[in-house]
Amino acid sequence: MDDHAPRRHTDLLADIARAASIVAPQWPLTNVVAVNPLGGLQHLPFEEAAALARRWLGARTHPTLAAFRAAYDRGAITDADLRRAIVDVDWRLATRPGIEAGGTTLAAVELIRIDLLAGPDEPDRQSSDPGTQASSILPAVDELVAGWCAAFVDEAHVPWPMPHRDEGFYAAWRHLASSDRRLRRLAGRRGMRWLTDLPVRAVGGLAVALDTLGTGPEARVDALRGQLGRLPGWAGYARWHDEWAPFDHDGPAFRLVDLLAVQAAVTAAVALGNGARPSPPPAQPAPDDDLLGRRVAAVCSVLGVSSDDADVARGVREVLALVPPAARPAMWLEAHEGNVRDRLLGLLTRLDPGPTTERPQVQAVFCIDVRSEGLRRHLEACGSYETLGFAGFFGVPMRWRPMGSTAPQARCPVLVTPDHEVAERPQAADDPRRFLATRRTNRSASDAFHAAKGGLGSPFVLAEASGWLLGPLAALRTLAPDVTRQAGRWGRSLARAPRTFAAVDAAADPASGLALEERILFAEAILTTLGLRRFGRVVVLCGHASANRNNPHASAYDCGACGGAPGGASARTAAAILNDLDVRAGLAERGFDLPDDTWFVAAEHDTVSDRVTVLDRGTVPASHDTLVAGFARDVEAAGERLAQERARRLPGDPARVRARGQDWAQIRPEWGLAGNAAFVIGPRSVTQHLDLACRVFLHSYEAEADPDGVALETILTAPLVVAQWISAQYYFSTVDPDRFGAGDKLLHNPVGGVGVVLGEGGDLRVGLPLQAVTVGDRQVHEPLRLLAVVQAPLERTETIIQSNRVLRELVDGGWIRIAGRSHGDEPWSLRGSAGTWASWRPADDRFDQAVASLEVS
Amino acid sequence: MSWNGLTPMAKIEVVVDGDLVAAVRDLFLEAGATGYTGLSGVSGFGHHGQHQARLLFNDRASLSMLITVVPKDKVDGLVAGIRRLLEDRHGVFFVSETHVSRPDYFS
Repeated sequence: MDDHAPRRHTDLLADIARAASIVAPQWPLTNVVAVNPLGGLQHLPFEEAAALARRWLGARTHPTLAAFRAAYDRGAITDADLRRAIVDVDWRLATRPGIEAGGTTLAAVELIRIDLLAGPDEPDRQSSDPGTQASSILPAVDELVAGWCAAFVDEAHVPWPMPHRDEGFYAAWRHLASSDRRLRRLAGRRGMRWLTDLPVRAVGGLAVALDTLGTGPEARVDALRGQLGRLPGWAGYARWHDEWAPFDHDGPAFRLVDLLAVQAAVTAAVALGNGARPSPPPAQPAPDDDLLGRRVAAVCSVLGVSSDDADVARGVREVLALVPPAARPAMWLEAHEGNVRDRLLGLLTRLDPGPTTERPQVQAVFCIDVRSEGLRRHLEACGSYETLGFAGFFGVPMRWRPMGSTAPQARCPVLVTPDHEVAERPQAADDPRRFLATRRTNRSASDAFHAAKGGLGSPFVLAEASGWLLGPLAALRTLAPDVTRQAGRWGRSLARAPRTFAAVDAAADPASGLALEERILFAEAILTTLGLRRFGRVVVLCGHASANRNNPHASAYDCGACGGAPGGASARTAAAILNDLDVRAGLAERGFDLPDDTWFVAAEHDTVSDRVTVLDRGTVPASHDTLVAGFARDVEAAGERLAQERARRLPGDPARVRARGQDWAQIRPEWGLAGNAAFVIGPRSVTQHLDLACRVFLHSYEAEADPDGVALETILTAPLVVAQWISAQYYFSTVDPDRFGAGDKLLHNPVGGVGVVLGEGGDLRVGLPLQAVTVGDRQVHEPLRLLAVVQAPLERTETIIQSNRVLRELVDGGWIRIAGRSHGDEPWSLRGSAGTWASWRPADDRFDQAVASLEVS
Repeated sequence: MSWNGLTPMAKIEVVVDGDLVAAVRDLFLEAGATGYTGLSGVSGFGHHGQHQARLLFNDRASLSMLITVVPKDKVDGLVAGIRRLLEDRHGVFFVSETHVSRPDYFS
């Protein structure tokens, strides 16, 4: 099979792209980015996409009926919620005639409500494995291919790189496959002989393997989906490589076509070696015909009538047959979401007094992240602070290059490709050479240590040479993490870090920064999107990061709007731009009345300890120092109160809640964004003085300052989309921790800086660890689809939805629900799927908004 | 038709969602195209309603147009791939005749 004149396989490549929609891209561990695991199917309505995931990934896409019923028993879902949800999912049921039973008439909605509460659950999960003769070889094939994947990938400069990997995964594997003993054992002589004739190019190899497996063009997309569904983690990482990796990514190319080619080739070789028949395309599992009968029996039992009563049983069956099994969890989910929506809109149903006209002394802008809600609430309680919410990259998409680094890192949402690089430079008065030399020495020692750990014989020498020191040190880090933290701080203080700044002016530093016009443009975008027209003397831009140790998923706790990185650099950059006098002059020409005495200050919130560090403190003018010192004092007090509040939700010693990040044995440093449920877009006056339990993303928006709707369009198409990815990741990691979540953290084994596997191998695990959403058997995160609440003219919101395909698909497809009101003195409305808006009413007429709470019940 | 010594070729323009750009690029290269031009932030109105142009902080949400020029004997393979790709996704493509002065750039 020589391919000197390669056959073109455009149709096969197209099929790969179509099949790939069932897996989401998976970012490497250096920048864990929350993604919707069904993101490739977002062009479909939620329930259709969920059905595909159940079929091809064998995944659960909704909580179990038992979990929903437990929520009902806790009062998190009520009968009124269920009745409303049943009709919302299928409006025809509202007018469906009921049945006569025991002298009374029972409405169809009531019969379905009884079925939801008492009916049997559907079979646990469907599988993409058709259970054929050939399928028995698949687990061994998958294990083998996963092993090759782990040997090939490298985001962390592994000490023993796989040979030939610069040629791509398929080519490298093809070079070495003949020496794979496990493969020889599985494929036998016949299979191995077939392998030696494989074409050089991956796409050619895949075509030949699929032919050998008997997969024709019409069955190809299904067959490829079946393959991807067996290794969705590695497939997701390959998708990241194909579609999202930065242009200067220097890791070996791990492409989806290579993965599929290796997978299909190994499958075919093993099938040939075993004499197994080629694998047919996966088929839909047979429906459970008996389920409807059992549902009817359960409802009749609750009604107190015998299912032998033919008339009643027939009537019940006719009604229940209208609700297919997949619609039952959909109704429950709708009910649960409706309950939370009622509680939130109940809290928000009050006259919005609008902003005060008095000039605030200090304004503080925090990331929209749900964790900021608590800090803002407690800070406002400490004094007359005005707080605002904005995506934590503060509107400056850039690549940040820390001092002494040659590897800049994107600091913006992954939806944006940054065009600018900003470097951290030492202040002119500070000499960085000693600090940089010390850091280089430390890093060289660390690299040498890790290289010795990864060598063939060197670990034995290393253990002999350093065990006397490392053993007690490990014990100290376990038993007294604070001591090792302070020792580390002392060690770093020996070489004092120079004061630095974000070099934003490209005219002054050609290797860094932005041109003046670009800086003015970004400054204008920040102020317009925030709706900021009135400025305090100090405006704090507070990013966030999460300082936790020994955690492969550490970056998942950092700022999502910064691409899974700490947010301090973005705050420093934005503050430097907004303090620039030339930028101020440009803003004045564009109509922004920025007072001369307004100073922007950068800060960073550590979400594990709830401590806020004011950055670049030395650049604050003396005239503003008292205000900044007051802010630092008050935000420390606010952090202490927030930490106490969080301690009530976290397991473990409440007194040590702020030190959890230092504990290298801590599997749950913080809750991250667990509990997230809604995204409020509007002025702070809509949510001020309310306890939203760190469950709501808050984005500032002033409709009056945005007559053309550009700012609202920006918020709805970027921060809201990122929040929806986060929401979906938490949702799916909770409903199926095995398929959509990373599983038990205690068993994690990092692979090549790419991701984690459970135990010694297997598929790369996607999503959040079990410990990020649960404590024991208790779910801490309520799996709900995101609710967006927008205070802006409804016509404006609707126009933006209609004008943007991505938004339209999210909203019309039921991935996001939207509530809105045009002004602060109007009632809330809910958007229906056809673009109609209807006044919101709680499901229960006795709903008491005065006692509504957003705490997870 | 030959215009003043220009060589006839086929121009293929594809308008797709941002997430399909990589797939179309791969199809071009697999079909033997030697290059392509990409335009992001394409706006318009069509079968699936209005499409907004470039958004401030989302490069992926708007449509993109990819343009390539290939010898006519490569058109069939490329068209087959694009047709298949767009079977279950939004997108349109146009094939037209064009003329180039440096045919060796495109073969």
